[in-house]
Amino acid sequence: MSWAENIIKALKDWDTSLIAYVPDISIDQVTSLIDKDPFFRLVSATREEEAIGIAVGSYAAGRNAAVFMQSSGFGNSVNALASLCIPSRTPIPMFINLRGGPGEFNMAQVAMGRAVRPIMDQLGLVHFTLDDDRNMEKILDGAMKLCYANRQPLAVCLTQLLHGGKLA
Amino acid sequence: MVSRLAGESPIVSNLGPSSDELWHAGHRDRNFYTYGNMGLCSSIALGMAMATDEQVISLDGDGSMLMNLGTIASIGREKPKNLTVVVWDNEKWGQTGGQTSHTGMGTDLEQVARSCGITRTKTVSDLEDLEAAVSDALKTDGPNFIVAKIEEAEYLPVAPVEPEFTLYRFRNTFVEPRKPGQ
Repeated sequence: MSWAENIIKALKDWDTSLIAYVPDISIDQVTSLIDKDPFFRLVSATREEEAIGIAVGSYAAGRNAAVFMQSSGFGNSVNALASLCIPSRTPIPMFINLRGGPGEFNMAQVAMGRAVRPIMDQLGLVHFTLDDDRNMEKILDGAMKLCYANRQPLAVCLTQLLHGGKLA
Repeated sequence: MVSRLAGESPIVSNLGPSSDELWHAGHRDRNFYTYGNMGLCSSIALGMAMATDEQVISLDGDGSMLMNLGTIASIGREKPKNLTVVVWDNEKWGQTGGQTSHTGMGTDLEQVARSCGITRTKTVSDLEDLEAAVSDALKTDGPNFIVAKIEEAEYLPVAPVEPEFTLYRFRNTFVEPRKPGQ
């Protein structure tokens, strides 16, 4: 299985079928598969905090939901996490293309990319980072289990070392 | 009035007076009161409308809607038949001192909705027209977008709402409650 197929499997295994996202060239390797798969409903949001709102609404009405975004957009979603998901204890798995690491070509992506995990730590939220696909199936299954058991958002950060990234 | 017309339909209410008024109109487990996340009321309602076939109602505010105009575009893109958005438009930010909002300076949210491809839109300014518009919206395929021009009124006491209870009380009307260890 490719890294993208591993993510699809984890979402299906945890019955997470509504995917709200803001497009990203690397994460497109997953969202393009999701778009073709009748198990899923892919919803395009205009901004990442909106994607969080859509996912919370879906979960509230009984359909588990995940969010896909890029690290720059994570900055747009922080208040939605802090003032909606955390106080209402909403489990939203987030898959984030983590920019700003080895191979980054765009200096405008570095600061926010480096800040994602410290912000998650400050919010008291769990995150995992995947640089390669070793043990990926086990890590993703465990991350989804933890997310729903803890009933809080959780981030899986996907780096350029994993997905190849965007070339300059 | 909206609560009465809604029957068992899920209602999401914007932070502040929209949620307080909804609570004081009579609590129901299908009320999703919000007390933070300004701007996301109708985004939450959009997510609900994509998770259930039931009619979903969003009680939003002009200030919040202005903070997240993109969600009107997303509603126009997805066109959920089962979503009705009511925007309480007092043309000001009531909670922060009554500063004039953009709708008091010319922004027309109904026209924004129309330009995003939402065809069933209406602006009303009295209770009778509001009742007719909401009643019609709940009987007709949407999405429906109603702008209700309102006057500033006295605030009701803040509703005693806990976000976690709100979410799980609401969710448990759709799914079996979680059991310990699940």
